[in-house]
Amino acid sequence: MSEQVHRLVYFSRNAMPGTSDEIVEGVHQILKSSRRNNARAGVTGALLFNSGCFAQVLEGPSSAVSETFERIQWDERHSEVLVLDYAPVDGRVFPDWSMSFVGASQSGQHLFGDVSAASGFNPIHLKAAQVLTTLHRLVMDEEKQTA
Amino acid sequence: MQDLTESFPDRDPAVGHDTPTVHPPLPPHDALMEVCDRLPCAFAILEPDGLVSFANAAFRTLFNLSSHPGLGGPDLSRVASGAVRSLKSLDGRILPVNPVTFGGGRTLVLVEDKSSSSPAEMTERRDALTGLANRVVLKEQIVTALTGPEPDGTETALLLLDLDRFKAVNDTLGHPIGDKLLCRVVDRLRATVRKTDLVARLGGDEFAILQRSPKQPEAAKALAQRLVDLIGRTYLVDDHILNIGVSIGVAFPPNDGNDPDRLLKSADLALYRAKEEGRGRFRFFEQEMDARAQARRTLELDLRRAFALRQFEVYYQAQMSLHDKQVVGFEALARWRHPQRGMVSPAAFIPVAEEIGLISQIGEWVLLTACREAASWPGNQRIAVNLSPMQFGKAGLVETVAAALATSGLPPERLELEITESVLLDDTAGTLAILHQLRSLGIRIAMDDFGTGYSSLGYLRSFPFDKVKIDQSFIRDMPTDGDSAAIVKAIIGLGISLGISTTAEGVETEEQLNRLRAEGCTDIQGYLLSKPVPASDLAAIFNRSTHP
Ligand SMILES: Cc1cc2nc3c(=O)[nH]c(=O)nc-3n(C[C@H](O)[C@H](O)[C@H](O)COP(=O)(O)O)c2cc1C
Repeated sequence: MSEQVHRLVYFSRNAMPGTSDEIVEGVHQILKSSRRNNARAGVTGALLFNSGCFAQVLEGPSSAVSETFERIQWDERHSEVLVLDYAPVDGRVFPDWSMSFVGASQSGQHLFGDVSAASGFNPIHLKAAQVLTTLHRLVMDEEKQTA
Repeated sequence: MQDLTESFPDRDPAVGHDTPTVHPPLPPHDALMEVCDRLPCAFAILEPDGLVSFANAAFRTLFNLSSHPGLGGPDLSRVASGAVRSLKSLDGRILPVNPVTFGGGRTLVLVEDKSSSSPAEMTERRDALTGLANRVVLKEQIVTALTGPEPDGTETALLLLDLDRFKAVNDTLGHPIGDKLLCRVVDRLRATVRKTDLVARLGGDEFAILQRSPKQPEAAKALAQRLVDLIGRTYLVDDHILNIGVSIGVAFPPNDGNDPDRLLKSADLALYRAKEEGRGRFRFFEQEMDARAQARRTLELDLRRAFALRQFEVYYQAQMSLHDKQVVGFEALARWRHPQRGMVSPAAFIPVAEEIGLISQIGEWVLLTACREAASWPGNQRIAVNLSPMQFGKAGLVETVAAALATSGLPPERLELEITESVLLDDTAGTLAILHQLRSLGIRIAMDDFGTGYSSLGYLRSFPFDKVKIDQSFIRDMPTDGDSAAIVKAIIGLGISLGISTTAEGVETEEQLNRLRAEGCTDIQGYLLSKPVPASDLAAIFNRSTHP
């Protein structure tokens, strides 16, 4: 029997001060703990960092996702967290990544451009499905490049 | 991309999004957690590396440990090794602990807290749902903070917290969800305070924090700011996305109160101000709040007495038809004549009357008095009476109006009831039903203060109003402000196209009158015609209107 998966999509703004190098270091710290904790909790997903904003997809059993998200909510390294979607879904879009990452320095930046252009990166205009599909596409592209 | 988009249909950023459903039975995991949290005995589980992977509510209360692993708390690693045999609890007691090793190299740490493990102790000193200290404990600790000046210069701040919009969650989604949300809030509180701070639950959605720091008031400010941010962040509870907020009032002993009750009262006044200023914020107590609250309290007392002492009067303000320049009606306005205060303006006492629930009584009395008065007039001028939203909330409004007509003998078509848009704001279906019943008595219904409210046009369409009253702010600004003039013009146009009359309020000059007439406004009310007058002065106006 397959488990019931919940998917959370949210958007937030970076609240880490410092130079861009320091911020990149901060994001890597976040990724490190994400990968460690998520693998243990059965949570998978993707994280995007671009133009000072985060977009993240978390997938997994509802209690694992909500507990992880609760911890993320306590984090002072970001603010203005806006939940775009949280609902049961048929399956995972990111089954293989405890936390895949797409960053501003990646080749995918211009691909994400259509979301940022369409939304002006105003999170109010971002739709969950848009974030999800874009993230998925970017992660797939990077897989191909590294393969 | 297309197919992906289709398989994940868009949803709106679901602020407060919810789908009330039948709740499935608690998964065993949640049920177990809940049981653990309700056990009076305090215990925690340590992983082989000495980190806490679980602590029940009793344990978290004793040691202010966050409910989430890896965050703060006492150093338990030495308990696992047996090097340490006791721990100091938040209230300063040394409690023996008992480590038991079990599967996977984990350690169960049992706390032998004789004083608080009795069920009576649990109910008398702790909140059953969250395991937090209660008011009794809070007051004790305030007393302690007040008695000994701390040697290290530590000062105390009392933060009083009230959740915004929590009641709505409870009402729409039910207590089980509300309780879970509360536990999440408490987790966030626990995660934010320091070991030396006390968190207490005072009531449904009211909490207090006694914060100790050598750096007051800066520390209290930082904590309050952090809490407003953190508590205000979205929660996921079951399948619901929940958004609530918190308002906080802060008071410092001994200046703001040198006993627990006074200190709590000061914090409460500051909290009240924070809510008044729009919620989701914090305020420090200021002496001036006390004076204001005092003034407010005496006003409240006076207002409650005013009824028995017959200090209310009804004044009448004439309304004239622009078509034939006849006085066609009067609006009944409540006045309060106080022996010391003099004539108190409705703007000062109506909001207070609304808040203390006196408005329905005043409204009923005005209705009855005005109907009786109008029935005795020589002509058949209409009488317009205001209905407050609260009167719609109470049962029996239609019966009250019918009774006022019956006892006064006033023909229903001479009575006009004025409502504001805010009446239509909540429970629109129920309100519309009442409005239709009133209409079927033969009464006219007018929309008051039009243009100042919300989605005005929708409300005008939702019910066949007989009249729209244009708010006086637009009339006042009409000669100088293009926007106001445009709004007035639009409302009059709306009236014409809907086939209902329009009454401009607050008309003071001939210029305003002429413009209104030119736009097609049907009636006016204002000082140009007459100010509101007592019943005894009405004769002069009747004479004037029959001999223009
Ligand atoms: C934008 C953002 C995304 C994050 N995503 C995750 C995540 O997916 N999983 C996770 O465990 N922590 C995530 N974190 C970090 C948590 O907030 C928290 O710092 C971390 O879980 C603490 O765990 P640690 O003590 O093991 O490092 C995220 C933080 C930020 C700012």
